[in-house]
Formats: sequence, C-alpha cells, structure tokens
Amino acid sequence: MLSPKQMSRVTIVGHKDILGQTVDALHGINAFHIEDYNDDKLGLKIGKPFENADDVSKKLIKIRSISSFLGIKKGESGKQNVESLFQELDTKLVELDDEVSKRTDRKSEIENKLKELDTLSKELLPFSTIPLNLDQYRGYENLAVLSGIVKGDIEPEVAHITQSYELFSDVKSGTIVLFVLKEHADKVSNVLSEFAFKELRVPEISGVPADLLKKTEQDIVNLQNDIVSLNAEIGSLKSKYSGFILASDELLSIETQKAEAPLRVATSEHTFMMDGWVPNEDYDRLARTVEDATGGRAFISRTNVTKEEEAIVPIEYENPKISKPFEEIMDLYARPRYSEIDPTSLIFITFPLFYGMILGDIGYALILLGLALGIKKLVRSDAIKPLMNILIYCQVSTLIFGVLYGEFLGFPLAGLESHGHYIPGLINGFETINLFPSPFAGEMITYPVHRTHLVMTMIVVTALIGLIHINIGYLLGFINERRKHGVTAAILEKGSWFVIQIGLLLFALGYVGYISKAIGIGVFLVGFVMLLKGEGIKGPIELPSLLSNSLSYTRIIAVGLSSIYIASTVNQIAFDMIMPESFGPMTIFAIVIFILGHALNTVLSIIAPGLHALRLQYVEFFTKFYEGGGKKYNPFGYIRKYTEE
Amino acid sequence: MVGEELAVMDASGLRAIGAGLAVGLTGIASGIAEKDIGSAAIGAMAENEALFGKGLILTVIPETIVIFGLVVALLIK
Repeated sequence: MLSPKQMSRVTIVGHKDILGQTVDALHGINAFHIEDYNDDKLGLKIGKPFENADDVSKKLIKIRSISSFLGIKKGESGKQNVESLFQELDTKLVELDDEVSKRTDRKSEIENKLKELDTLSKELLPFSTIPLNLDQYRGYENLAVLSGIVKGDIEPEVAHITQSYELFSDVKSGTIVLFVLKEHADKVSNVLSEFAFKELRVPEISGVPADLLKKTEQDIVNLQNDIVSLNAEIGSLKSKYSGFILASDELLSIETQKAEAPLRVATSEHTFMMDGWVPNEDYDRLARTVEDATGGRAFISRTNVTKEEEAIVPIEYENPKISKPFEEIMDLYARPRYSEIDPTSLIFITFPLFYGMILGDIGYALILLGLALGIKKLVRSDAIKPLMNILIYCQVSTLIFGVLYGEFLGFPLAGLESHGHYIPGLINGFETINLFPSPFAGEMITYPVHRTHLVMTMIVVTALIGLIHINIGYLLGFINERRKHGVTAAILEKGSWFVIQIGLLLFALGYVGYISKAIGIGVFLVGFVMLLKGEGIKGPIELPSLLSNSLSYTRIIAVGLSSIYIASTVNQIAFDMIMPESFGPMTIFAIVIFILGHALNTVLSIIAPGLHALRLQYVEFFTKFYEGGGKKYNPFGYIRKYTEE
Repeated sequence: MVGEELAVMDASGLRAIGAGLAVGLTGIASGIAEKDIGSAAIGAMAENEALFGKGLILTVIPETIVIFGLVVALLIK
C-alpha cells in the first residue's frame, strides 16, 4: 500500500517465426511494459514492422478521417465481436467510404455553387432598380456604356458635353447606366470621376436584373434546403455507423499497435529479443500465456530489479480502490521512485482532513456534494471521475467539520453568549455549551466550536497539527533515506531533526523552570552537529523552516475565517435589505444578492481550501521525504471498450 | 496640545489600521511575488502542458506571505 508495485525485468528471446504469436500473447495480457530497444552496441537491429502494418494504418487513417467528418464522439456503444468485425471490415469500410465521399462531394459542390450565387446576387443588386435587360449593356459598335455608382446628379454636366446620351439612374443607391457615343466617352468619364464614379462589373448573363435577382435568391434558398437535407443524411449515417466506426477504430488501433511492435524489439537475422518489465503478480500469467501461444519455443528469463535499474523501472501504483483517486494528485506532482514510499494513502487521509478543517460548513458541503455527484453521473469522462471522487471525499470531511463547527452557509447554528451580548443561532433553542477554558488568550472551548471566537486557540492548534504532519514527513524521510543510503545517513539527515526538536522542547521546559536550560541547549547542539554532518551547510540554513513550515499550517484557520467572513457578509447585506420592509422589490433584490454571493463563495470554496490543502502536502509535507520522478508504467496492450474477443 | 491629540486616537481604531496594513501590505507582497512566478509558469506550460501541477504549486508558494499577514491581523484584533 505504501510502495509501488514490485516489478521484475523480463527478457523474451525466440525465433522470428514466433514473434507474431509472442506479440499477440503479450498484447492480450496487457501487463508487459516494453523497454524500447534503441542501443545497437549488441550488434542487433531494431525489427521491421509486420507486413500488414501499412494496410492497417491506411485503413485506420481512413476511418479516423471519416469519424472526424461525421463528428463522432466517444460514448456508450455496444461491444462488437472481433471476428465478425474483421470479416465485414473491408466491405463495410468501402461502403461507408463510398457513402460518405458521395455526400462530401455533393456538399462541397453545393457550397461552391452557393458562393457563386452569392457573388452574383451581390453584383446584380445595384442594377435591380434599372429596368434594362443585361443584354443591352454590351455589344455596341459606336456606343460606350458606363455603369457604376456616383455621388450627386451628373445629368447637367453630361449634357454640357453632348446632347446624344441616354441615362438610367437610381437616385437612392446612386447607380447609373450611361450610354454615350464612343468619341465622347473619355470626356464623360473625366467628368464622372469628379462625382466619385466607381465602375461596376456587369454580370455576363442575359435577363432583367430584378427578375434575375429574384431567381438567384430563390436558388440560394433551394440550395440551402439541399444542405439541410444533406446534413440530415449525414446525421443518419452517423447514427447508423457510429458503433461500427468506434469499434473498427479500436480494432485497427490494436492491430497497428501489434504490427508496429517489432520496432521496439531487438532482432538479429533469425531471432528476436524483447526486453521489458512486468509486475511480479502478473509474471506467472505472462510466462504461461506466452509459452502456450508459442508452444514453448520462446525463452523467458526473469531477473529481480537491481539497484542500478531502480531509476528506470516503470512505476505502477498499488493502492486500495478507495484511495486510488488521489493518485491523480500524486501524478500532478511526480510519480514516486521505485524504492520510495508512495504517500497516496496518507494524502487520502490528510488532504480531505485539511480541506474539511478549512471549509467546515454544512451548507457548502451539501451544495458541493450534490454538484460533485451530479457531475460524476453526467460526465462520463475518465479524467473527471477521480477529481469528482476527491471532491466527494473532501465534502464528507467538510460535513463532519461543519457539524463540529456548527456552521451553515456562514450562519452559526447555535446561539452564543459573547462579551455580554447574545448572538442568536439558526436553530431555535440550540445553545452553545461551554466545555472548558482554553489555555490560550482566555478563550472558552465550546460545542459547537465557534472558530470566530477561538482564533488564538485555533492558530495554536493548527500550528501543532502542522508540526505533527511535518514530523510524519521526517519519519517517512528517515525510512526512504535508510533504504537508499543506509541507517547512518538516515539518522544524520532525518533523525537529527527529531533531536533538534527534542532539544527545543527541553529548552522550553527549562525556560519555564522545570529542568536546567543547559540540557535543552546540549541536546539541540547534538542535533545541530548531526544535521551539519548529514546535510552539510544546507541543513542549518533550513533550520528556520521548522518554524515557518509549522506556522504555514495556520492557513487552515486563516483561510477558513476568510470564507466565513465572506459568507456572513453576504448574509448580513441580504438580511439588512429585507428586514425593515415587508415583501417588496427589495426582497427579490436581497434574494438575488444572497444567491449570487453564496454562488461566488461556493466557487471560492473549491479553489481556496483545495489549493491550500494541496500546497500543504506538496510544499510542507513532500519536501521532507519525497523525491519522485518515476516513469509511468504503460503496459503493451489495450483496454477494449467497443470490441470483444 | 500633544496630549489632546493622542487622546483623540482611539486604540481599537489604531488596531484596526494595523490589522488592515498587515493584510494589505502582505497581500501586495504576495501579488508581486506571484506575478513573476505565474507568468513564468504560464510560459513553461505553453511549452509543456504536463507542468501545470508544478506551475500551480510554485505559483501559490508566496501565498504564505499573505497568510502570515492574515494571522498577524487576527492576533492584533
């Protein structure tokens, strides 16, 4: 539970004839982490992919491009039998490809046509108010046609130049079509340029523009309808083939993986050698399966992990199911190394504990619990699920602390008599019970624990919790160090911290007057020298961290208080608004403020306690013992979702 | 004269100012420290998304400063 899975290094050697069977068998077991061969000192070469690799990967690319065209998303789908899928794969793929490409061609054709019609309608629009057939715009020997847009009235100016002209114009859009003799064309166009003349292209078709425009617009509508029905066809193709596509994508991915496996294997002319790792618990199964598949012709050898190999062993967590989600938190930092303690199970306890201590509110716990359960049910993503599980654990802890603190959305549940005036609680008749006086600042420990009235005590308590947590860290560090460098190094590097702390404690006792101060100072100095020997000059430099790290845990109360104050401020604003009047517009406004304020604080309630609880693990706890940097265990195989053998 | 002015200064008011300064100044300090780390972390994440976790952790390290400020403020109150 506290260490990664134990691994063995396994080498499989055999004749190339049985490479295919071996790869099949290993893929089926899904437990063999292949160590890629990339070293040619042995005089061996990297193997060549199997013959079907090309074919399979081509099909895979085709199926993936179809899948992305149809917009198929991974989701629930029935499992398909591998054998029958294999048999129908080729024909069905051709059929599907045909159906899809027919539609893609048609779709792009329509889209091109739409673009053309769109341009045409834009060109026609300015001429639509001029009742001339487009044929009449061209084909003259002696006439020049000037069509375009101008600003202002050009007629008087044109009349100055020549009397023989014909002008059609639309005042609103400024479109003109002017027919003049060619000999006057230059002069006229000079005049026109003074009116900011912009020439318009005349579409090369015949007909009256207004009618043409109407027809074009009708065509566009028709084509758009065509696209809609085409999309519906694509949609029905999608629902018809999505099971097949998902299954064959998986099947082909598996086949590609197998076909390309020789690229990771060392080969000579007639033999192959596979090198890799397997968890001890899976070794027997692996050996048996490979031997069965190859008729005992493969030679399998197994060695235990040596000290030098510890740096390259792939790491697989071994945790009970309940603490598995916290492996995500570990991966966010770094995987443990092979010989290191895997602290996942400890984080499973301390992370929700700190989170709950910080938030500690029944209301928020219930809201977030509902939210997490809802998201877990609705979103079927493998990445979201562990995060939601972590959130659920945290909310359970928050709920427990909420009952302990007696808080609901920032309201105290129990009434409290404080400094001579009475603060009513949310539950009538539920009064705070005094338990015993706290040794700090004359505060009274009560049930429920009112954090706002026990600030000093809580600061001391949280710092003490920090001290305990840090010391667990040193203890783990001691174990890790002993495994890596032996007992002496462990005592000097990590044990010295305990000696120093005992020294400080004895000195404190001496300060109060129970024993001589010299004892404390002596023990402290012994610890100091041990630390200096163990860690060098780095040790004494880190000495103040003992204080700053444990003070850092006071954030548990500090962040918690800030959350309470935000909540109670929202409550106060909302209730001050309702109180003086009976029901009215202010009441609605108050309710809006209440909901928005608490929604904001709910979001903050995930981020702030989450980040701070996480940070206490990563920065204060892990630095005492954890190194990390292990490689991920990635077995050769595939977890089938859409196919079955 | 001096005595009169001092008498106007309310002790609890001064405490409140002190607490405010403790949170405010440490907040600014954390902000300044986090700004540099944060922008560097975003840069690193652009190169390699797997660094998100480490970036996040490094970014919140200076948060301790303002937490200490908050604790001091609570103690003053």
